Amino acid sequence: MSLRIIVCIKSVLKASHLGGPQRAVGNSELNPFDRPALEAAIRLKDTMNASVIALSMGPEVSAEALDEAQAMGADEAVLVSDRALAGSDTLVTAKVLAKAVQKIGAFDFIFFGTRTADSDTGQVGPQTASLLDLPFLGGVKKMELQHGGWEVHRVVDTWEEAWQVQTPAALAMDPRAFIPRPVGLVGLSQVYDQPKLWQWNVADLGLTAEQVGLTGSPTRVADLKKTTHDRSCRIIEGNPLEQAEALLEMLALAGKIGS
Amino acid sequence: MHDPILTDKHRIVRRSVRDFCEKELRPIAAQIDQEARFPWEVAEKMGPLGYFGIQAPRELGGAGLDTVSYAITIEEVSRVSAAIGLCLSVHNSVALYPIVAFGSPEQHQRWVPALAKGEKIGAFCLTEPNAGSDAGGIIATALADGDDWVVNANKVFVTNGGIADICLVFTNTAQGSGRKEVSVVVAERGTPGFVVGDLEDLCGMRANPVTSIRLYDCRLPKANLLGKTGMGLRIGLAALDTGRIGIAAQALGIAQAALEEGVRYANQRQQFGVPLGNHQMIQMMIADMATQVDAARMMVYRAARIKDANQPVTKAAAQAKLFASEAAGKVTDLALQIHGGYGYSKAYAVERYYRDARVTRIYEGTSEVHRMVIAREALRETL
Repeated sequence: MSLRIIVCIKSVLKASHLGGPQRAVGNSELNPFDRPALEAAIRLKDTMNASVIALSMGPEVSAEALDEAQAMGADEAVLVSDRALAGSDTLVTAKVLAKAVQKIGAFDFIFFGTRTADSDTGQVGPQTASLLDLPFLGGVKKMELQHGGWEVHRVVDTWEEAWQVQTPAALAMDPRAFIPRPVGLVGLSQVYDQPKLWQWNVADLGLTAEQVGLTGSPTRVADLKKTTHDRSCRIIEGNPLEQAEALLEMLALAGKIGS
Repeated sequence: MHDPILTDKHRIVRRSVRDFCEKELRPIAAQIDQEARFPWEVAEKMGPLGYFGIQAPRELGGAGLDTVSYAITIEEVSRVSAAIGLCLSVHNSVALYPIVAFGSPEQHQRWVPALAKGEKIGAFCLTEPNAGSDAGGIIATALADGDDWVVNANKVFVTNGGIADICLVFTNTAQGSGRKEVSVVVAERGTPGFVVGDLEDLCGMRANPVTSIRLYDCRLPKANLLGKTGMGLRIGLAALDTGRIGIAAQALGIAQAALEEGVRYANQRQQFGVPLGNHQMIQMMIADMATQVDAARMMVYRAARIKDANQPVTKAAAQAKLFASEAAGKVTDLALQIHGGYGYSKAYAVERYYRDARVTRIYEGTSEVHRMVIAREALRETL
């Protein structure tokens, strides 16, 4: 049996100032929560006949993240990039990814990271799955082939569930379960010599500029403000037992623990 | 760090190497220096990732990257542990590279794959007690006897000596005629007569097992001759051109690390009620450090690019090595000064950087030899 896996990844901002975050060279990196999704796909490729396609929507700089994905072991990469996409919210991102997945063709799984390190919503995976009418499981920690079908284990609120999953399906990977392999020099060198990067724009996906970007997005960012956490330090005196009791009391009174 | 002189490809090489080193090497960097221990546990992880065959062809098991990627890799590893940067620089540039460049197809198959994957470690055995900068002054001999060379050599200050499996030994093959005919013969550890000496107790680079290597009537097959007899100095000079880029990159990595520590401490340490960095005299040090590091970086990458363009690189490599190693000396000295008394303590990393930087002005050609090389080239150009 052969398997085709699409892994959706994002090039995220490393740091930004309020008001004008720009993803640019030197300020972007492959989303650390997407690396486990790539790792999960490449582990399957290590043990069975599987091909892995990394898919990303973003500015040109996202090609670097796709290079890294290929250096880790993805076979091909697809970048959806277009000026019109600037300002897209998670719903539009999911629409674009869904269109790109349809254009890629047949597949067995789409893997996602749990969330992104910059906008942190965790919405794009489930939204894309809904748009494609696919079953979706988040927090996946293990996948096993059982009697020709897939048994997928996931963790929800410290409970572990086992699901029988029909393909095609979409899964978001628990970052603790798939510690990503380092990007090697050998892998990077192969990518540079034989890059397999397909680049599509909005029109290639049968979408118009009005359907995407800021205009196509129902989400409006009304305001951004900096939050501060006031920290103070208090030394608790006494023997360890008294200290522990005093600390418990303080935390309970502050509503930090207990119910 | 955004570096406009690098391509995307080089930025990803830097990020990948940095991530690896921060995760695997940083936690033990100070400890392996203190214990003078080579970290096999990290080297074994570096092997499959291509760190031991950065520029070796992929069909022979290497990563097949360019010289700029090589320089960035050595720089980033040295930023965390210069002793391990040294291991990789020597292994890649003066052990593996000459075998790739001058070896026969049979020799490639014999040695390159294992070296490129880090399954075997390489070393360069040129220096003798009375010959270093004067490479022609070596007294090691190889006498032809049937299908073998019988080699006698006393090689000192061999980087990677304690862990090396495959050594390039510079020796005189003039058969006792009184002439000098320097040739390179490959000696493998385990051959009868191959003896590894004691660990040198060095000021810096302590996690690298620098030893002497002695060959006593060591019989090496004639098939172990690299290139032809008499090609030794040519092989040595070619190896040292890339080697110098490696050492320059290493010095750059140490200087970068010292700059980062200096900046961190200047922002964090308060004196006279304000951070050190608010004081003009500290600002002057930081400005000089940052400028030295940037200038060194540009010279190192320029030399690497010239090498990648297959242009003559002797002068650019010598200039990069001279400048970067002297910059590393200045920058680590200033970083230590910013730290005051704490900088002189082993509790802070700058003390290690200061010790590690010193030797970059000595090995793979002293600053004085590099000035000779640069002057010779420059005088030739003006004519």
